[in-house]
Amino acid sequence: MAHSLSPECTPLKLEYDSCFNAWFEGYLEPAVAASASPKERANYSKQKADEFQQKCGKVWESYRFCVKKAVKEKGLDDLLQQARDENPLTEPPPPPPSSSENPPS
Amino acid sequence: MKFFSQSFLYDDPWSIVSLAFFLRYPNPYAAHVVSCDVISRTQTPSGSLLTTRLILKRGALPRWAPQGIVSRAESWVIEESEVDPHGKTVRCRTKNLDHVKVMQVEEWVMFRQTSEGKTLQTTEARILSGFGWGLTKRIENHGLTRFKANVQRSREGVSLILSLLRQSRLQPMTLGGQESLPTSQSAGSDSDSSCTQNNTWSRLKSWLNSPSPT
Repeated sequence: MAHSLSPECTPLKLEYDSCFNAWFEGYLEPAVAASASPKERANYSKQKADEFQQKCGKVWESYRFCVKKAVKEKGLDDLLQQARDENPLTEPPPPPPSSSENPPS
Repeated sequence: MKFFSQSFLYDDPWSIVSLAFFLRYPNPYAAHVVSCDVISRTQTPSGSLLTTRLILKRGALPRWAPQGIVSRAESWVIEESEVDPHGKTVRCRTKNLDHVKVMQVEEWVMFRQTSEGKTLQTTEARILSGFGWGLTKRIENHGLTRFKANVQRSREGVSLILSLLRQSRLQPMTLGGQESLPTSQSAGSDSDSSCTQNNTWSRLKSWLNSPSPT
């Protein structure tokens, strides 16, 4: 079902997914106190990032390369770039149902 | 333009609901998901995880839709998410990339841990058609009706994954847990026999990898 958009990337995707998900499960429950200083958190995050790189970095590179190529071949790269340029996650929260249209700034 | 807004409280803690949310494809309630790929994924210095996924969904057009309104009943969807494990928040936005003149659906989902250790999901959506021909309103209404139904199905999907996660965490030593399988185990799946990771995810994966009818 949830295959890759390109059949040739699917084996890499499955391998990457299972590596990432095992890492992600631990990532969601950080082994650092909620009261930790920003520096302690940054150290911990760096450690988690290194752990990912060591365990899954290689398959992630191969998978990403495969998908990038497939996206290009399907002519989706422009659509995608356009959508990502809008940078949605830095936008304010969604407008309340009563607000009128906001022109994009 | 139509708006939709809803919140839902899960009894489970944020970390498990968030895991279920990201593991939600494939599930039987999301048979319309054709493909799902991670396009980019980075960790910020503060420890948040930013992910962009590209998803292909198969849709059904309403009976009254004019012939040729879209060239194919499939749609590319972009999903951008930010996971903050310290602040216990997931923010996620999705929108369709094509057929946007016919209908653009933008959805914002947020998961936050409550003070009682439960998880609050809020969903907001904006549905906009620029189709014209006297059909704009009808398309938007149809989009809203379908969106509401999909929110329900999507939650059932997440809940199913949640119950599988809960089950697998209760049985930490039984890799596979054959007797409690909700789906029949694939006998001929050749890629899973070498699975050695003894974690929740690998067990969940083996449960979900039943032979697909499609």
